[in-house]
Amino acid sequence: MIVDDSNMIRSRITRLVQNGMIGQVHVVAQAANGVEALALATRHRPELVTMDLTMPEMDGVECITKLLQMMPKTNILVVSALTDKATAIAALRQGARGFVNKPFSDDELRMALLELMDAT
Amino acid sequence: MNALNDEELKLFVDSVRNYFKVTTGQDPKITSAYLATEAVEGYEFNGIVSFSGSYSGQVMVSMPAQLLREVLVLQGETDLSDTHLLDAVGEIANTLAGNARKNFGPTLGISVPIKLMGATGVTARVRQRPYAITLRWGPLPALVCVDVARNA
Repeated sequence: MIVDDSNMIRSRITRLVQNGMIGQVHVVAQAANGVEALALATRHRPELVTMDLTMPEMDGVECITKLLQMMPKTNILVVSALTDKATAIAALRQGARGFVNKPFSDDELRMALLELMDAT
Repeated sequence: MNALNDEELKLFVDSVRNYFKVTTGQDPKITSAYLATEAVEGYEFNGIVSFSGSYSGQVMVSMPAQLLREVLVLQGETDLSDTHLLDAVGEIANTLAGNARKNFGPTLGISVPIKLMGATGVTARVRQRPYAITLRWGPLPALVCVDVARNA
């Protein structure tokens, strides 16, 4: 599942997945904020989530916390423009498994997702 | 409020340069970086992110449609509608503002982007003279306006 308030980023990650660059992964849902993400996660039970942090309605850190309360085994990769270390550490402490900074290249995202999948 | 110093302002120049390099593989040419004296004239697609917390103000990214179309095409995007161009300029503004936290720290609050269509100027809110960065990516121009001050 892809969670990001930007259409551009959701489309880009979707294309990367559909091109087969991330192995046998399918996009089951896309959400533009944390509230949507929680509703869609209940329905689709995603194994892997890319999560933006700065979003309207509910931000990424709160969404990570609530999502993992519902589905503790979900693997979450934060994809965010917030590049300070404190934010990365806060996201990891909430249960995210990795962090990719925006802007990112296709290769950077692909490697981060593959590493996350290998580790689980 | 305290004005940002030259080093802090230069962070935004570096951030703009990095954005284009990473997402398009092509460096932009920074054509000028100056303290504007009047309202800064932009292009038709504008993304604005407001700062709060330890800083006040906003960062505006302003780009013509053609530049945004080409950036999206390079990323494999086929939807080049105005809605998508607006989303793209908002995301670019969000990225530049978010990257500032690396140096400004986590007490810098960042809003979700406001996206505006129409070549309107931006008037400084917190600085007497906003910092304007003009660039060209290939033949296409763009503008980043930094109107940010540190809260005392």
